[in-house]
Amino acid sequence: MSDFFHAHSSVIVSMVFAAVLGLSLYLPLMAGQLSLASPGFYALGGYVAAVFSTKIFNVASGAHFPIPYLLIEMIVAAVLCGALAIIVGIPALRLRGIYLALATVAFVEILRVVSLNLKITGGAVGIFKIPQPFRSTLQYLWIALPLLILAMAFVYRLEKSRIGRAFTAIREDELAADAMGIAPTYHKVLAFTMGAILAGIVGTVSAHFLNTWNTRQGDFNASITVLAIVLIGGSRTFLGPVLGGLVLTALPEILRSVADIGGLPHWLAQFLKDGRLIIFGLLLVLCTVFFPQGIITPEFLGRVRRLFSRRPRATTADEARAAP
Amino acid sequence: MKRLAIPFLVILALVLAACGSSSSTATPAPAVTKAPAATTAASAASGSAPVALSGQPIPIGLAIATTSNVALLGEEEKNGGLLAEKFFNDRGGVNGRPIKVILQDTAGDEQGAINAFQSLISAKVVGIVGPTLSQQAFAADPTANSAKVPVIGPSNTAKGIPQIGEYVTRVSAPIAVVAPNAIKQALKINPNIKKVAVFYAQNDAFSVSETDTFQTTAKSLNLEVTTVQKFQTTDTDFQTQVTNALATKPDLAIVSGLAADGGNLVKQLRELGFKGIIIGGNGLNTANIFPVCKAQCDGLLVAQAYSPALKSDINDGFKKVYTDQFKKDPPQFAAQTFTGIQVFVEALKSLDNKTKIANMSIEDLRVALNKEVTAGKYDTPLGKISFDKDRELVQNDFYVAQIKMNPDGATGTFVFLS
Repeated sequence: MSDFFHAHSSVIVSMVFAAVLGLSLYLPLMAGQLSLASPGFYALGGYVAAVFSTKIFNVASGAHFPIPYLLIEMIVAAVLCGALAIIVGIPALRLRGIYLALATVAFVEILRVVSLNLKITGGAVGIFKIPQPFRSTLQYLWIALPLLILAMAFVYRLEKSRIGRAFTAIREDELAADAMGIAPTYHKVLAFTMGAILAGIVGTVSAHFLNTWNTRQGDFNASITVLAIVLIGGSRTFLGPVLGGLVLTALPEILRSVADIGGLPHWLAQFLKDGRLIIFGLLLVLCTVFFPQGIITPEFLGRVRRLFSRRPRATTADEARAAP
Repeated sequence: MKRLAIPFLVILALVLAACGSSSSTATPAPAVTKAPAATTAASAASGSAPVALSGQPIPIGLAIATTSNVALLGEEEKNGGLLAEKFFNDRGGVNGRPIKVILQDTAGDEQGAINAFQSLISAKVVGIVGPTLSQQAFAADPTANSAKVPVIGPSNTAKGIPQIGEYVTRVSAPIAVVAPNAIKQALKINPNIKKVAVFYAQNDAFSVSETDTFQTTAKSLNLEVTTVQKFQTTDTDFQTQVTNALATKPDLAIVSGLAADGGNLVKQLRELGFKGIIIGGNGLNTANIFPVCKAQCDGLLVAQAYSPALKSDINDGFKKVYTDQFKKDPPQFAAQTFTGIQVFVEALKSLDNKTKIANMSIEDLRVALNKEVTAGKYDTPLGKISFDKDRELVQNDFYVAQIKMNPDGATGTFVFLS
């Protein structure tokens, strides 16, 4: 078992990162704002970590990067991303729907071109030799898992709070929410900023995890991947993006190892190996066809809850009736 | 819909479950732990006839991009790597024991490269040839380095690759060595060149490093760099850059980009009336640019780290098997990947001659192999190569070719200039 975890440690850690990144896009979506800016803030957070750890903090090569420094980087990234999100958010969030999505894509692109042209970000080659805070990849879970759990707990509590209800109101009908005295701009910028901070923090840890950081991180492709995570997972409950992030990151790697099972006919193993991304794409298409609302929807959760609450008394006949 | 959804979920769950169990059964790999014993017996038995292949194959990892937008390069590397497996096994493998090249796709990103490397390391490969891009190397090589697995980069040309760690080296010459030759060749053709216009793809790591070298070389040869124009590898229209550059009346244009963008830039330079010599960087060293700039490719000078025209036994052999299978001359990336595998095979052979590798544990073998790799001298399709004390490649021969297009304007050849 421990062999298994070590052999797949990088996939496991990146699954958790993807789940948190999914949550960062889910936050503005809670207030009905389709923003694709998360990867931009993710990239910014990564650059903060890369620049700080290679240029500002002097760590002897070979030595482990002290965890408190990592936490400082996370805080700096959070502050920076939060501030930038407020500056960008106030004008950008006047746009709605697809126009907002386009504006945020443009924002990500601007960040990319800026970092291509700056000296401090290393241009196209990027920054490399980022020091490692941990001895093994798997130990990144010490940071990644608490981050995911805290983010989940935060969003869970948020959904139940006054602000969360305001987000939902704006999502359902902005005009009506405004008429009821909910300030739309304030809440939209708030949701956007919270998402940005979360994305920035993930970026910080990711930069250490990937050993290197360059402009290819958090580009337009990444925006689409994160969007897919939220849409496939489900955009109406915070469990959706978490599951989406975990599954969508793991699936291509799972398909990779399926090909290595012994005893498969040669052609099948070869197809699984070469065509794993075809299968991956096919599964995504099937998911959008059969689960247009994402895999986890509030109705789905309700059904699960009913199933569990009934279980103690349920006979098999009851269960058969309850499961259509 | 709902009725279909449940079976679909069930199938998905089954697939997931199957994979979970598969990978857990695959990783402990009882077969591999048994391997040393089996191979000692086998090698002892085959001692009298060393050419006959016997024993457990020695796994060598090949982690390159066969998907994503880098796949154009990765495909050539895959051809070169898999060809090397057959080529060296036909010639007796490692003292009679076959090698097995295990291919893993890195895709175009850093995470993919790390995953592919981890997958190969847990498959107990003795060493890894890969990844395709320098940026991927910066991400994945530290993984191999901390696991003490030797890595040979087939196409990582950026500065700082061997410095990643003591288990990392490369068979791709850093750009700083390849590029200057082309400028010297251009001066040989036209000694009156004074003004140079430089173009480069600013979002491509390779082109950015390469243009630096071109510019320093030009200055050291007392040429005046009149303008430096940037573009992106995704661009198709270069009118602005070309017009700006032509306004400075250059005698020589230097283009650092990849096939599609670089080819288009060359074409538009000619269309807008540039008559001087054009030098293409290493990214244009591929037949893939012929369909892009067509007849306008004619006369383009390209710096190369590999030339099919090199006369040597190993290159002739490599060229023959390559052209037999793919019906064209081997491209540079295929030759470099082939060389990567060759270096591992020859290092394994010389190591085996000192201490029987069949008796070594995989961990010891990797450490010993790493020392052997950088200590050796190799006669490869790239020419004679060795490694200096910083594990940097020392390559003797570099080439400059000029593109000669056929009258049909669609096909052409690289003509090698000495």
